[in-house]
Amino acid sequence: MRAPRNWWVALPVLFGLFFVVPLLGLVWFALTEGDVASELRSSATWEALRLSVLTATLTLVLAVLLGTPLAYLLAASEAGWARLTATLLDLPLVLPPVVSGIALLTVFGRRGYLGDPLSEAGLTLSFTTAAVVLAQLFVAAPYYVRAAYAGFAAMDPRFEGVAYTLGLSRWRTFRSVTLPLVWPALAGGAVLCWARALGELGATLLFAGSLPGRTQTMPLAILSAFESNAGLAGAVSIAVILVAFALVLMVLLHRASTPSGAYR
Amino acid sequence: MSLRASFSGHAGDFAYDVSLDADAELLVLYGHSGAGKTITLRTIAGLARPEAGTIEIGGRVVFDGASRVDEPPQARRTGYVVQEVALFPHLDVERNVLIGVEGSGDAKARWSQLRGALHLDGLDARRPHELSGGQQQRVALARALVRPTDVLLLDEPFSALDDVLRAELRAELKRLQRDFGIPIVFVTHDLREAHLLADSVAVIDAGRVLQLGPRDDVFTRPSARRVAELTGVRNLFTATASGDRVEVDGLELQLPANGTNGPVDLGIRSERCNLRRFDPDEPPPTNCFVGRLVEDLAFGNTHTLRFEPDGPGPRIEVEVAARPYEVLGVAERDRWVIELPAEDLLVMPRG
Repeated sequence: MRAPRNWWVALPVLFGLFFVVPLLGLVWFALTEGDVASELRSSATWEALRLSVLTATLTLVLAVLLGTPLAYLLAASEAGWARLTATLLDLPLVLPPVVSGIALLTVFGRRGYLGDPLSEAGLTLSFTTAAVVLAQLFVAAPYYVRAAYAGFAAMDPRFEGVAYTLGLSRWRTFRSVTLPLVWPALAGGAVLCWARALGELGATLLFAGSLPGRTQTMPLAILSAFESNAGLAGAVSIAVILVAFALVLMVLLHRASTPSGAYR
Repeated sequence: MSLRASFSGHAGDFAYDVSLDADAELLVLYGHSGAGKTITLRTIAGLARPEAGTIEIGGRVVFDGASRVDEPPQARRTGYVVQEVALFPHLDVERNVLIGVEGSGDAKARWSQLRGALHLDGLDARRPHELSGGQQQRVALARALVRPTDVLLLDEPFSALDDVLRAELRAELKRLQRDFGIPIVFVTHDLREAHLLADSVAVIDAGRVLQLGPRDDVFTRPSARRVAELTGVRNLFTATASGDRVEVDGLELQLPANGTNGPVDLGIRSERCNLRRFDPDEPPPTNCFVGRLVEDLAFGNTHTLRFEPDGPGPRIEVEVAARPYEVLGVAERDRWVIELPAEDLLVMPRG
């Protein structure tokens, strides 16, 4: 096939540069004005990174465990409630994360609607690491559920019917037939969910606060550095570490989640 | 082995009320798309639940609406093959075939038998997308038969294949049916396929089985006008019968025997009508009338001719093979004597 050599090729190139140039700017600024080396030595940075990875991973695990059955149910059902739920799933994607944080506070916060019963049970959620996970789950899980829903809905349900007549139990069918068939969709959704959780700022800030070591994830650490004496230079130094880390992980995840042949 | 099924229910807005009986034979379930063929198979397999009725497979009651028996598809011992989802695309041939029976020595033995019978040697490690369409359907058949199976349910399994392959697979299917001695329900909307395969035919329309019987009975003695229509009878008239005679559009025809009296539906297949040269000095003999040729469609090996009556008699379509068409010189004249042989007339009660 002949590669297109028209003027309009300039458009995608420009579009690509729009993303690459600011990232290069960030790195250049950090190397010239900031102090990446000292941030790399700082235990606070590593603490934030550890917390980010921990919470984003917990969020992903919860999203997969709770979201997969939900997505399967939504795709299998033709009832009105299923369609409504599928639509509502998009809502957290549209809401500004800050609003999501406020919504969580009104229910789970200390003075929220469930605050008293929760504290009587000895559970204070707000401003804990658990709260970080809840905030990330609220914002990021819909990415996974939507992708999984699309995957299940696109699968021909007759594959499962045939499997049942071959004697496979519902669970075996799900494991050996359904899951492998929708695997690419689930893996794609998981990567999106984990990435969104890693970058989550607004909802976490409102609902979990920014306590170093407990709720201060990388995005919050960057914001806090920006607001401190270190200013832009400090924020950028941490940001570059997050970008480098995220880049490596995304490459690895893509490798792991893309099937090698037509099917794994 | 036998299959006895009689059930009714709804699938969305579609209401069905189906009765089927098959012994160890190949039963073709024939009907247009949307007639209820697929829901019938799914119900027998246990993948759809009827509202009432009974289903008996190989003497076991697997569904009984009244006594609330409802065996799950896993326990019904049906082999179910659907053309579009024949094989699991992520598994190789061997794992596709053995997925439901892993570790069973009997199944392995049956698989090595089937592998030979269905010409699948050397394909164990192939993925479905590396197989031809015919091989895929053969593997699907092997998979359906590798477990102890009391009935084989095939939903248009050959519809995506070319004619030569279909003919081969039909022959293999007939052989499998004899070897295994189980009923096979074969769904198709292809009249020729129904003809070629069937021991028995069930004609289904709008969720109901209109006629079920040996193939030749169904094709030569349709029980109702709709069955005649669906099985390709192109000439259908309303007529009045009395004794061994029937009158259609002012033309009186002789029947082979006494039948019902009063209003009836009368049919004749277009390939069963005869053409004779018209001689104006000779009155048309029994069961003959004069017609004017108004349309001549050539299909290569046959011609479909349409005639308008030149006096009493119906409009009629006649199919003539290419050779007699040329010998008679059909194209050279426009007036012909059309004979409707008594033994080919289909008389059906007016529904």
